[in-house]
Amino acid sequence: MSEEIDSAQRVAIGISFGNSYSSIAFTTSEGKAEVIANEEGDRQIPSILSYVDGEELQGTQAKAQFVRNAKNTVAYFRDFLGQEFKSIDPTPCHQSAHPVQHESTIAFKIRDTAEEAENTITVSEITTRHLKRLKNSASEYLGKKVNAAVITVPTNFSDAQKTALSKAAKEAGIEVLQFINEPVAAVLAYDARPEAKLADKIILVADLGGTRSDVAVIASRGGIYTILATVHDYEVSGFKLDQVLMDHFAKEYMKKHKSGGDPRENDRSSAKLKLESEAVKKALSIGTSANFSVESLANGLDFTATINRTRYDLLASKHFAAYARLVTHAVEKAQLDPLDISEIILAGGNSHTPKVASALRSAFPDSTTILAPSTSPTSINPSELSVRGAAIQASLIQRFELEDIEQSTHPMVTVTPHLSHAVGVLCISGEESSGVFHAIVDAETPLPVRRSAIIATPREGGDVLIKLCEGAGHIKVTKPEPKPKKEKEEKDSDDDDESEEEEEELREKTWKVGKVLAEAALKGVKKGAKVEVQISISASLDVNCIFREVGGKGGVRGLLAGPKLVQNGSA
Amino acid sequence: PVLPEGWSGERDFKAIEHLSHATDRNIEPVGPHFLAHARRKRHKRTFSEDDRI
Repeated sequence: MSEEIDSAQRVAIGISFGNSYSSIAFTTSEGKAEVIANEEGDRQIPSILSYVDGEELQGTQAKAQFVRNAKNTVAYFRDFLGQEFKSIDPTPCHQSAHPVQHESTIAFKIRDTAEEAENTITVSEITTRHLKRLKNSASEYLGKKVNAAVITVPTNFSDAQKTALSKAAKEAGIEVLQFINEPVAAVLAYDARPEAKLADKIILVADLGGTRSDVAVIASRGGIYTILATVHDYEVSGFKLDQVLMDHFAKEYMKKHKSGGDPRENDRSSAKLKLESEAVKKALSIGTSANFSVESLANGLDFTATINRTRYDLLASKHFAAYARLVTHAVEKAQLDPLDISEIILAGGNSHTPKVASALRSAFPDSTTILAPSTSPTSINPSELSVRGAAIQASLIQRFELEDIEQSTHPMVTVTPHLSHAVGVLCISGEESSGVFHAIVDAETPLPVRRSAIIATPREGGDVLIKLCEGAGHIKVTKPEPKPKKEKEEKDSDDDDESEEEEEELREKTWKVGKVLAEAALKGVKKGAKVEVQISISASLDVNCIFREVGGKGGVRGLLAGPKLVQNGSA
Repeated sequence: PVLPEGWSGERDFKAIEHLSHATDRNIEPVGPHFLAHARRKRHKRTFSEDDRI
């Protein structure tokens, strides 16, 4: 293959490369992203490689080798790329080939040939083999040789990790056009739907994976996304949910077979238990009850059992609460209130669990839309979100020269001043002298920006004064009149009191009017007329505004120069 | 609000204060709207110039 691929001959796909699962997607000629199933019919392809007598198995086939051939099976290796041995957490690999230090990098000692000898395979070589298989599956499906991709990565992926991944991809014959952040890819997957309407909103993306959970708070302004805060957690994960089921079924097994021993204490039994528990977890996301059945679970004894969703929800309630805490923590980190969040996008395999969505539902106000299969009929499959986003981005940039892509993603372009306060006008209220703040451009909007809005004028018309102001979001907490408490109630525990009070509080989002930026007079406005306001703010904070009566001519134009001391320039 | 009497401004417009300083943040280089933004920034075009093309 030639070194530089001509952009005209590029066939680009989207790849989501995860610790537990990977997936591939492309964009159809109609501009719709479609997830590709591999030869085994899987759209979520386990990121696992296994070697049996020199034969390479991947995906679901490799996953089955956890039981018989754990030592020559490599899994959960994505986060090891580009890392130093001492900085990794090898816990997820406990049941498969263990990572070992190899020079400055990490490797696995596995028998990957037919010979009876262990070879040391670096994590980047493993990644190359995995990506090669993904590429081949996509090529076979598309009937064209895939040679480029947009790959999603977590927001805390370091440059060293990206470089390592880029190298591994190149070895696999894939030119990485761009790395995009997983949560942003999820937002793009939703925004690219034809029915989606662009709005200025704050979106929270909760990516609930197997070995880790990542939460990001993103400001979406006119289809441009800015990450405000991120939280990563390696404790709150899908593995913990699997563990709940493993413990449950292990105890049931021991109750039934008194002499059977604990299946968790034997490696092979434990692997069987884990695989089946994950399958049961998935079944419980769809149905209200599921069967657990393993042949020869331990000591040659078969075991079957059923579990219903209510029981599972109860057993795992601690973990569902942890998800809700993690998400609210991210909101706090962004210095926002749950009321500021207009949408929550649930991504990642564990977002299929209905109880996760309902735990978040109760932590957020009704104004927040939760996009998950169990709460919204229009939601997209959470497992496919990031790969769809990657496929869309790939189709947008695949005709660009690499140099163009690099220049466009350079900080010179991406570092942009963002408005620190909302800018809007005062609208009519009950009193004629004062007004209610109506935001036209929200805070955290990247500059330059141009927005217009239509506002109402006083009913009787005449001469109108329009005030252009800054505003800040503010949470108004109204407490109803405190009820006279009886002495008995006071004896209740503190916890009870607190939760009761919180329920009584009425929280709403209001605006606090900041400084007045400019005033404009519109004379002779017709009765009941509406006024169109258009604001353009440049990167140097110059404000250009036009106020015009709808249907009328002329109007008032004004220019407001930016602050004299521009300390933060455009770069 | 209704225009108070005696209000005057040049061409009916009066600038009072500057905008507060902005905060520099990194925007995500993803999606069609970002690409449009990058195009404008690299060619130093304004919105209306971009609309005309």
